[in-house]
Amino acid sequence: MKPPKFRYVAPRTLDEAVEHLAADPDAKVLSGGQSLMPLLAMRLAAPSILVDLQHVPGLDGIEDQGSSVLIGAGVTHREIERSDVIAQRLPILSSAVVHIAHPQIRSRGTFGGSTAHADPSGEWPTVLLALGATMHAVGPRGRRTIEADDFFVGPFTSTLDEDEILTHVSVPTTRTAWSFQEAAVKRGDYGLALVAATGIPRDGQLAEARVSVGAAVGSVRRLTDVERLLSRGPVTDALAEEAALTAAASVDPISDIHGNSEYRRKLVASLVRRAVLELKNGA
Amino acid sequence: MSTTPEERLDVSMTINGRRYRSTVEARRTLADFIREDAQLPGTKLGCEHGVCGACTVLLDDLPARSCLTLAVQAEGRQIRTVESLAEGQELNTLQRAFREQHGLQCGFCTAGFLMTATALLEENPTPTRDDIVETVSGSLCRCTGYQTIVSAIEQAAAEGQNVTNGGDQ
Repeated sequence: MKPPKFRYVAPRTLDEAVEHLAADPDAKVLSGGQSLMPLLAMRLAAPSILVDLQHVPGLDGIEDQGSSVLIGAGVTHREIERSDVIAQRLPILSSAVVHIAHPQIRSRGTFGGSTAHADPSGEWPTVLLALGATMHAVGPRGRRTIEADDFFVGPFTSTLDEDEILTHVSVPTTRTAWSFQEAAVKRGDYGLALVAATGIPRDGQLAEARVSVGAAVGSVRRLTDVERLLSRGPVTDALAEEAALTAAASVDPISDIHGNSEYRRKLVASLVRRAVLELKNGA
Repeated sequence: MSTTPEERLDVSMTINGRRYRSTVEARRTLADFIREDAQLPGTKLGCEHGVCGACTVLLDDLPARSCLTLAVQAEGRQIRTVESLAEGQELNTLQRAFREQHGLQCGFCTAGFLMTATALLEENPTPTRDDIVETVSGSLCRCTGYQTIVSAIEQAAAEGQNVTNGGDQ
């Protein structure tokens, strides 16, 4: 399998990268390439130009800013996996990262690349939605920020414009109750269902709960009915059970060779139950 | 490199301590560069879309799928392939452990397993069996059933040092 022909450029500045994207609507960003290369090999994508960001400065780094951690788009999954700042300030990321494919992929694939790719079975979209992260983007019209709620809008579709580049993600550290759950056929496979849940422990209860689901559904999304349920009172085993039933009723899972819709509905219910029980221990 | 997008580019990189230079299409994979431009056929291509792990090499000392990396992305970088492991005809500790534990049969996946294990043992010389299983989970083998591969890496770790005697490095 060979990728289709394309032209390649490796700009040295962000401005130059943006210029290349703005000049050709079929130009695409190349970050780690771990999702893009298979798409090219299968000829599911045929970009005119690949704009490689590997030499663009300023896209690296994991910076503890107190109430949030600023993660550069070019940070690899491997760097997240080994980061003390992440382990201490955002342990949900440490928990999720080991589910991302395999070590050979994690050493090349990037946090920003996976986020912008918006794969419905991607761990980062699911986690960032549950954390309420803020995306930082730059384009020919300047810089802007996009909230996670407004960023992931469909399968492989974000609200990033074609000529914009995701540069950083600002991830709040205030959601100290958290859980990440994934069910996959085997380690490293695409998940059959993912659930991320977070909240702020307050007076023995869970405030501002956010629960997201990925993989089982066509597009990563929040389970707002479950979130409302969690805000009603102390998190108990009974509430976890009710949350599982509510989750099952509020998703319309996809069917494919790896699992039909009913099976995935049950998976989502089980994962939500487990997630809420973990939140209970964190609250 | 050029500041205008090009369909063909000059690429140079160091593979197993030796400099290789070629003019390649932008779409050429690192795997094809290694096998065809550098004439190092030890790296095998299985699925060519990042699933099987046969093409794993070390890119700046980290394991990477050479089918999921473009040659142009490796410009100026250090690559190590399976050819770097043996010293002439002398197998290194890891390769010898694979032979002794029957960690291969047809051998098609072996280069990928060896390079993945090399990276593991360089970072963590005393891995647990679980660490090894987790690390090699990204490679497929249709012959062995994996247990002998995991045992081979365990043996190499137990024998310690000299996992990468480096060949011509």
